[in-house]
Amino acid sequence: MTETAPIDAAAHEAFSALALTAMDDVYRFARSLTRDESDAEDVVQETYLRAFRSWLTFQTGTDVRRWLFTIARNVFLRSKERGKREVTLDDDGAEAVDAAEAHDNWVRKGLDPILASSELGPAISEALDELPEAFRSVVVLVDVEDQSYEDAAEVLGIPVGTVRSRLFRGRKLLQTSLMTHAQDAGLIPMPGDARRNT
Amino acid sequence: MDATEKMDCKKAAEKLYDLLDGELTADVAKKLRQHVSDCPHCFTAADFEKRFLTALEQLKARGCCPDALRAKVTESLRAAGFRA
Repeated sequence: MTETAPIDAAAHEAFSALALTAMDDVYRFARSLTRDESDAEDVVQETYLRAFRSWLTFQTGTDVRRWLFTIARNVFLRSKERGKREVTLDDDGAEAVDAAEAHDNWVRKGLDPILASSELGPAISEALDELPEAFRSVVVLVDVEDQSYEDAAEVLGIPVGTVRSRLFRGRKLLQTSLMTHAQDAGLIPMPGDARRNT
Repeated sequence: MDATEKMDCKKAAEKLYDLLDGELTADVAKKLRQHVSDCPHCFTAADFEKRFLTALEQLKARGCCPDALRAKVTESLRAAGFRA
């Protein structure tokens, strides 16, 4: 381990310019992992301490966000000891396709008119928070943080094919959940609401 | 799937996210785009998914690190020897 290696002034500056400027991204990712403000703050703090102590192992020219996301993910898993839960997940993409297709028309019809609405933001946040962590991490890394499948696979320590299947399933689960949140928020009619009284 | 395989709606549905995420080879992407533009069902699906992903991307603007946390991180880094 090189965690305690001293770093020089230039490295301090580089850490400030590269790592600290990515704090919004790390915070968002930590928030999505923990779904708890206080826990997210702990993850961010620990992530930056670890990143600073091992800054000399960071390869200049590579994606600092991917490196920080990887540390944050490890901090989260160690603090919550959630690693064991990961292996129980079903990553069967084909099954996911069939299950999702059964809902596609219903979801599309319901969400389509409100996708551009600014009021949808809180509903998306809530629906995302409710996704199981393995799906949530992939969706956040790829869809919010613009990571490629390969980068997300590296951060999460899973094969690219697993990223692809979790992403597919996670997005479909998110759309279904979003329907419920949008109905609860009154953005779209509840099932059976014929709106005859309006 | 490779570029020589025939594209149908089922394959298009399976590969749609790969297309929108820029994860397909140029040949396969071209074939899928062609199918999507010719097929009203797949066109509607692709249009919906594209707008769904755009809505999801907007979350980036909503989650900024609180100033208090930023200050706490800087403070703990300084305690660990960070100078800036």
